[in-house]
This record gives sequence, C-alpha cells and structure tokens, in this order.
Amino acid sequence: MKLLKPSWVNHNGKPIFSVDIHPDGTKFATGGQGEDSGKVVIWNMAPVLREEDEKNENIPKLLCQMDNHLACVNCVRWSNNGLYLASGGDDKLVMVWKRAAFIGPSTVFGSSSKLANVEQWRCVMILRNHTGDVMDVAWSPHDVWLASCSVDNTIAIWNARKFPEIVMTLKGHTGLVKGLTWDPVGKYIASQADDHSLKVWRTMDWQLETNITKPFSECGGTTHVLRLSWSPDGQYLVSAHAMNNSGPTAQIIERDGWKTNMDFVGHRKAVTVVKFNPKIFKKKQKNGSTPKPSCPYCCCAVGSKDRSLSVWLTSLKRPLVVIHDLFDKSIMDITWTLNGLGLLVCSMDGTVAFLDFSQDELGDPLNEEEKNAIHQNIYGKSLAITMGSQLSSTIIENPEMLKYQQEQQRNQNPNGAQASGPENQTPKLTNVLNGESLEDIRKNLLKKQVETRTADGRRRITPLCICLNVSFSYPGTSHQRCSTLIPQISSDSSTANSLGLRPSHDPTSTSPNKTAEDNKDSGTAAVNSIGMKSNLLLTSASKIEPMKALDSRFTERSKATPGVTSVPLTIGITPLDRVKDSSSVKEPKGKDETSSDSEDKIVVKSMTKRKGEMEGAEVVEKRKKGRPRKDAKIMPISQPFPQVTFLLSTDVSTDGVTYLEVENEVSVVSGSRLSQLKWSREGREWDTLLPSRIIIATGSSDVVAVACEDRTLSVFTACGRRLIPSIMLPAPMSALHCSGHFVMALTASATLSVWDVQKQTALVKNESLNPILSGTDATVSQSFLTRQGVAVVSLSNGKTYCFNSSLETWNLIADKQDSLVQCADFRNCVSSQDALGSMGPLALTQGRNLSAGRLASRLSSMPHHLQQGMTLAFLEKQLASALILLSASEYRHWLLIYARFLVNEGYELRLRELCQDLLGPVHKSSSSSWETTVLGLRKRDLLTEVLPVIGQNLRFQRLFTEYQDQLELLRLK
Amino acid sequence: MAKVQVLNVAVLDNPSPFGNPFQFEVTFECMEDLPEDLEWKIIYVGSAESEEYDQTLDSVLVGPVPAGRHMFVFQADAPNTGLIPESDAVGVTVVLITCTYRGQEFIRIGYYVNNEYMDTELRENPPLKPDYGQLQRNILASNPRVTRFHINWEGCAEKMEDSENVDPAPNAMLPPSCTPGKAPPLGLVPDNSMDCL
Repeated sequence: MKLLKPSWVNHNGKPIFSVDIHPDGTKFATGGQGEDSGKVVIWNMAPVLREEDEKNENIPKLLCQMDNHLACVNCVRWSNNGLYLASGGDDKLVMVWKRAAFIGPSTVFGSSSKLANVEQWRCVMILRNHTGDVMDVAWSPHDVWLASCSVDNTIAIWNARKFPEIVMTLKGHTGLVKGLTWDPVGKYIASQADDHSLKVWRTMDWQLETNITKPFSECGGTTHVLRLSWSPDGQYLVSAHAMNNSGPTAQIIERDGWKTNMDFVGHRKAVTVVKFNPKIFKKKQKNGSTPKPSCPYCCCAVGSKDRSLSVWLTSLKRPLVVIHDLFDKSIMDITWTLNGLGLLVCSMDGTVAFLDFSQDELGDPLNEEEKNAIHQNIYGKSLAITMGSQLSSTIIENPEMLKYQQEQQRNQNPNGAQASGPENQTPKLTNVLNGESLEDIRKNLLKKQVETRTADGRRRITPLCICLNVSFSYPGTSHQRCSTLIPQISSDSSTANSLGLRPSHDPTSTSPNKTAEDNKDSGTAAVNSIGMKSNLLLTSASKIEPMKALDSRFTERSKATPGVTSVPLTIGITPLDRVKDSSSVKEPKGKDETSSDSEDKIVVKSMTKRKGEMEGAEVVEKRKKGRPRKDAKIMPISQPFPQVTFLLSTDVSTDGVTYLEVENEVSVVSGSRLSQLKWSREGREWDTLLPSRIIIATGSSDVVAVACEDRTLSVFTACGRRLIPSIMLPAPMSALHCSGHFVMALTASATLSVWDVQKQTALVKNESLNPILSGTDATVSQSFLTRQGVAVVSLSNGKTYCFNSSLETWNLIADKQDSLVQCADFRNCVSSQDALGSMGPLALTQGRNLSAGRLASRLSSMPHHLQQGMTLAFLEKQLASALILLSASEYRHWLLIYARFLVNEGYELRLRELCQDLLGPVHKSSSSSWETTVLGLRKRDLLTEVLPVIGQNLRFQRLFTEYQDQLELLRLK
Repeated sequence: MAKVQVLNVAVLDNPSPFGNPFQFEVTFECMEDLPEDLEWKIIYVGSAESEEYDQTLDSVLVGPVPAGRHMFVFQADAPNTGLIPESDAVGVTVVLITCTYRGQEFIRIGYYVNNEYMDTELRENPPLKPDYGQLQRNILASNPRVTRFHINWEGCAEKMEDSENVDPAPNAMLPPSCTPGKAPPLGLVPDNSMDCL
C-alpha cells in the first residue's frame, strides 16, 4: 500500500467535506467551504496517480472550480454514467452539474484570470425542496433517481430523468438525516439520522422496510455526517456511527432479516463515514497452490472522528490496515476508484489523502460478468438484466442519437428513405442565423437589434438569441447541443455545420449491388488463396479443377526430386526438408503465378490483375492461357537438379504481365557454368548473369531476389541493378519471398530471415523455427511475406504463425483446429460492406472464416453465455492477429465486427475501454503513451466509425453521447 | 444561484472622443425562461468623492429572455458635462454597468475610464475649465471588475420595493481617487465577490 497526501488538493485551508472520484477515474470532485461561499472543485486525477504528472506544469491539476453554492458544500457525487455531478450544501440546494462540451478552457468573466478553468462545468439544474442544509446526495443504480437528505429530517427522491420532478419525499426520521446509500440491486435505499435510527426504505412503494434503532440508542449527535454504505453484493449494509458496549462501532446489518450481529470495532471516536469498495474480490491464487474455490469477499473503508482510517476485508476478522493520525481533524468522506485499488479520503482539516493498494493486498477483483453472476445467484436477476428491462421505457436523449436511430430505420426500409426528404435532416444551425455568421451579426448588431418602447416610454431591447438552450430543463435526459460560442472566439460556421448536417454515409440504394460484388470478390479471393496452398488443396481441390493439376504436379515433383532433402540439417529437425513451397501464396489482392521448369530453362510468369475486379472464371481462364506456353517448354523431370522454385509477387498496383526467366548453365566460361536471369515487364526487360545455378527466383514490384545453389542470395532492383553483394546463407534456401522491398528467406536449416533491402537492415535475423516446429511432426506447408514485411509461416498441422520482430516471438495467428474458430458465431455482426475489408494476410492464412459459426449454430445445445464468450475471445484474437500482421484493412474490419458484437451482446465495459483507447486522453499527459494512430489508421477516425455502431443500441446512448461530445470537442480544439 | 450569467462584455468604440456614446456589447446566458425583463443601466461616476455626481446615462429593458444565450449592444449617450465637477473631468473615473431583475441588482460590472487630452500641450497645461471637445475617453476594457449579488429570482413584491430605492452598496465598486496619469490602484475591490443580501 502506498500513501500520498497531495498538498495541492485543498480549498485554501478551508474544510473539505466531500470527495468523489469520477467513474472513469480521470478526475475527482471535492466539495466544501470556499472563501465566502460553498465550493466545488474538480481535480485532475493523473497528478495524484503519477509523480511525473504532478511535476509536469503542462498538466492541469485543477480542472474546474465552482463557487455557485451560497454556503458550504456537504456532498459531491458523480452520477454512475459520469455525465453529471450532484452537489448539496448548507444553502439547502442540490445542484446538478454537467460539462459544457463546446467551450474550451476559458476564464470566468471578470475574474483576474489567474486560474483558467480547463473544463467547463455548468449548473444545469438547481433542486429546491429542502428547508435545511443538504447533508448527503446519492445517485441510484443506473442513475434513475437522485436522493438527497437534509437536516430538515427528510429525504427527497428526485426523478433524475426529469429534474426537478420529485418522486417522493421520505418522511419518518425525527432527527437530522446525515447519510444515504442505495442498495446496489436497486430495491432499497437506507438512511441514517441523528434520531438514533437507521431506516431502510423500499424503492417499489417508497415505504419503510425496517427501522433499526438498537445499535444507535447510545449515540449522540456528535458527527457532522453519517455516511453509511451498502456492500457491492448487496448482502450487507454498514452504518456509520453506532455504539456497542459504549464503544464506537460501524454496525453491519445483514440484508437477510436485517440482523445486526456484527460490527467493525476499534475506532476510538464516532465513525463518520463507511465506504465499500465497488469491486468484489476473490483470493489471489498463489503460484503452485492448488486452485480451490474461495468465497468472494468485499472490502470496506471506515473513517472516523478519531482521525484514523481502517480498511477491512470481509474475509478477515481484523482490519487489513489501520492508519492513525492521517489528518488533524475528523475524516469526512471516502471514495474508491472504480478499479477498487485506489482510495481518496478527505478531512475537515482541508486535506485529502490517497491510498494505493495492490492486487496482492486486496485480491483479484471480479469482473462485471462475475459480479452480475453473483447478483443473479442471489437475487435471480443481474444488474445487467435490470438494465435491459428498463430499456423499453428508455427515451432518446439527444438529437444526434435520434438521428442515428432514424437513419437506421431508414436503412431498414429503403422506401422510407425516399419519402423523408432532406428537409428532415436539416437541423437548426446554431450559430448561423438567416445565413449570417456570428461575426457578421456582431458587426451590425446595434443596427439590427430590435428596440421598442414600452407603454411608459422606456427603451426595450430584444436580445439576439445566439443559442437556444434546451438543456436546462432535463439534465438527466438532455444534451447541450448548441455550440456555445463566446463572442470573443471568432465563430466558424463550419463547426456548427458539421454538428448538424451530416449526410448519410451510404446511399442504401447502391448497397445491394455492392454486396453482390463484394461477395464475388471475396469468393475470388478465397478461391485464389486456397488454390495456392498445396497442402490445403487436398481438401478443397474439387472446387478448383484447373489448379489441381498444376499444384498436384508440383507436389509430386518436389517429392520426386532429391533436392533439399539431401542437405544435411544442422538442427536435426526433419520437418523442413519437406517444405513445400512449390506453390506460393501471394498478396491477397489478387495475382497468380505459374511456373514451369525444364532441364535448363525455366520460365516464371506472373500475371497481375487489379484487385477486386477479377472474377473466378477469369482467373481460371488466364491460367489456362498461360499453360500451353509453359507446357511446351516442359521437359521430362529426370534431371538430378535440386528442387527449383520460382515465386514472383508483383505489386497489385501495376498492371500487366511480368516474366522472370531463369536459364541455368547458359554457357560455360573457363570451366564454370553461368546462369542467366531474365526479367521482362511491359516490354521493358533486363538480364543478368550469375556464377552459380539458380534454385529460387522471386520478385516484387521493387526488387528481384535470387537464391543460388552455392547458398548465396542476390538482390536486384526492378531495373536489374544489384542492390547488395551476395548474401551468404547459413544453409540452402528453402523458400524465398519478396514483397515491396522486403525479402524473406527460409533456409533448409529451419531458420527465418527478413531483410529490408532498401534500408539495408535485418528485420528478422536467422530466427529458428524450432519454437513452432518442436513437438509436432508438422512441416512448413506455406510461407509468405506481407506487404508490411511480416513473415508468415503455415504448418501442415493447420497452425499459422507470424514472427514479430519487436517482440521477437512467434505468434499464433491462425489455427484450423481451434475450437474458438469453429464455435464463434458473429455472423449477425458482419455487414455486407465488410467483405472487402476481410481480405488480407489474416484472411489468407485462415481461409474463409466467414463460414465460422456454422458449427456453432449446429451445436445449439451450447449455452448462450459459453458461445458468447467464445465469440468474444475469437474476435479479440482476430483483432490482435490483424494488429501483429500490420494489416490495417483487416484490423479495421475486425474492429467493426468486434464493436458490433460488443454492442449486440451488451459488453459495456469492453466497449468503453475500446472507445477510450480510440479516443485517447483529452488532456495532455506526459506519461500517456497513447499513439494517435494504429497501423496507419487514425484512432479517432476509427472511433468515428465505431460510434454509429454504438448508436444503434439505445442502451449505450450515454456512451455514444459521451464519446461523440468528446470527439467533437477535440475536433474544435 | 443566478439564473443569468454574464459571459462577456465587449467595449465597442474605444478609445473614443469624450462626446461619443458608450457602446457595450453584452453576452449573457440564461438558465430558464425569464417571465420578466432584465433592466440594464449604465452609470457614469462623475466624481470619486461623492455619489451625488453619479449619472445614470441610460437604462434599458431587455426582454423577452428565453433560456439560452443572448447578446445585445447597449448604447448610451455620453455624460452630461454640466453635471461633472470641473476638477474631476480629466483623469481616472469609473463607468458601471448594472443589471437588475425584478428590481434587484444581481451584477455590477465596473470599468476604469481614463479621460485625457489628446493634445500634449493641453495635457501638460490643462485649462482650468475642461475642454470636453479635446478629451479622449479610454475605457480599460481588459480589466472589468465584476461584483455579483444574490437575489431572489423567484421575485417577491415587498423586497422589490425595498431594493428599488436602496443605493448601490457603497463598497461594491469604489472609484479610485488618484491623480491623473497614475495607474489606478487595482485590487481594492475583491474579484468576483459574493455578498448575500
């Protein structure tokens, strides 16, 4: 455990009464006494968590300061969705704050600009009902209600979706009500008051469920607050100040029968605040010990007037830690971070303390699903389900959301799309009035503004409304849409335009055609890729007859020729001598190659085609065309030559036919035999001579690589200039690939090398294939190099690996036997436009995984949650594989499928994490290693693509709005 | 909490000859629809010594005010020179913009104003009787002094009567008394102070 007292978190020495960490963990709020008013301050969390951020002056510590409360603020609480902050104070008011998304950092008008507010939080609602100081406020689960309690002895339940509507005022306490807590299941709310009682109220009818008085009978009203807390599993309610044998305690009340048999003992003065950790924990499994099912437990922090803090685990009889003399005065409030490992405590002495625990100390937190499972077990319903049942009554909260919903409906019935003309989509532009920009308006404001005379002759000016604000009426359900432009900021009409007018992305009418085309394309790709895999051919050959002959002959011959088999293996693994590279797999975008050999002369032909335009039939035809030439040159394969392989991968962007011709023993000069390499493309040709017999030749649009019998490797430019002196290989070449300016060599001694011949660097240096080959009798069935220079090796056992040069590891990217592939069912997440994106090295290695899930649908007996988990695991694997293969288009493809799946299945946390990663930090932080791009795709652009997907599910509209706003904000920056 | 927040006041036509009208472009935000008009006033402080020389240059009603963000330009004629003590005509004084709702003042924005002769000759040897035609008015627009007051926004009749006739709080915006040319002693007035009525 680490302890920190950030001295910069203060209210200039005035007491801090309340502290609360924002659900996203990036900021926290404090409430207390200001100079001559109440004060709410929002602080940046990063400088608390990291020392370097604390020292970095560019990282703001204070984000926003709000002096609007007239008197001391007793409580600040973030809503569960993080959009709102509620504060209650001695001015009898509850204020609800919302971030004004479209205003950047600015000073308050008239302040001497010493501290600019980095974030702008606006009071969107004032809730007036209490006739005395408000002591505590609490948001119900899912932010349906907001409760506030007061020294007027009442508790007000506000409708958080329709402020300032009061659902109910709970009356019954006969003393100052000083603490509130909601049951995490949403069935109860509990309150503790100075009247020596703790009351539990039902949310169903807002009637008293139970009144607990015994443990409190000896209590005096000596504490400022009585912040009680409910455990995250809902089983226990722990009170603030209670007495047991005239000693101060925190009373534990069991949900089952409201029994009061246990308490937390040890504090020397009254307990002011109890706060349960939001996580449920289970014991950390030690290495080596047999895993035994341990009971999940909760963690609870207790703060007292005796200035000490204790942290308890319900699995232990004694406190985990007790910290004495943490403050000079009573502890007033405690808040945990959402991950359950951090804890902020504030005190009447005006300071806060941060405690940082490790998982070793607290245990392993259960994830949301496990937590839901516990709720399900105990209450027969999980919170997630509760959430779902409320959806029917969910209202759309903002116009952007509404737009997406409507757009989606239009897409579903294209006829409707025509009916709804463009006028439907023309929202009110906020800072352009009658075609004038704000600048123009300002110039002529004096002339244009409407001035009238009242009956008594006084001047009356009608102010020009530059932004109608609808957001104030319902903070719970509204969204500040107007672009709040301060006149000083020169207005840019385009910003508002982009907010409102966004043409629908794809005209629906074209999609059917497109789909058909896409399907065709993907089909072609599949045929192509499979056709080229000699090993796979056995299983899929029937579909591609013309290829069969070609490929089977290749395989046969490579068996027949002694070739590489005769080379002694230094490592002693046999598999590689069976390397069958006789047919190669190319870039997915569509090309093919044919090869033939003769006694002395070999011709490799390659026909490139533009991607996406070729069709299956065409491929076959061209191949057929190519064959006669080659057949004519074919000679009996009786020569004891080593296996000769030719590969030619040409860049997709070039069109036309490229020939690479090899003629071994073209002439004999003073006893040594020369080999000739001829290259021709679109009429341009060159040739060069090599002193040794050529065994493999391959090329790309940039380079041509040739491996010779004497274990040398030569690399030429596309114009025939030698790039580097011959590379001496440790063993004879087994497979050679070129892609762009990358050259990949697989030697007979089972090592892999990849060079960037342009930069003249080695990406992979003689890396052994041992790790992937050992323990199996698999052979290398296929290998290729992606355009980004990632080497991919497939084995005959159906596993495909790529070598990651930064991790220096072999990574499994595809496994035909993987049950996840067979059971993952994400078909309903694949949209018709996705087919194109799925082409790439990953698709190539995995074959047609659009067929995935077929098995799953047959295994209908599989429980849904199991399949859900498998699909999730599979999709995440795909995403990671695409990332490691540096395949941008596939990454995007799988990201969208993944997002759709998360949306469909309601994985909110993962979705949030995904969005957060794509959005990155809104504030600069030196410690953040966030990259703005992934595989050359801008993350925020990806988020822009993902958001509409999220917008399709109303359940995530808050998430949608939150990120939409932040994106918009970042764009304005 | 105030239902109306002043977001910005831009001083237009500044600096300008003494006789030009004052122009302030006011931007404000309103939390909810106001049933009654706002009343804005421009008060010119004629003399630092006494409030009796304060001149209300103009007062306008602004309305209707729905919830949202609004702006208007408040223009008022230059002060009546006859009401300004001759000794105070040149030098630093103050102009105040106030806003009242239901007769209760909730914001007071003050600017220091420096009146100076354009002409160096006149500046060094100012005439005994001020020559207003040669004076230039320079409003220190970058440094507004804002005082906010808590009022009862819901409105209450008796209170209205009372506050209607109450003089502005004397300490809310003190006009500095200092010799011309010297920078006004800033910092006398607390920024953003909040007083409860």
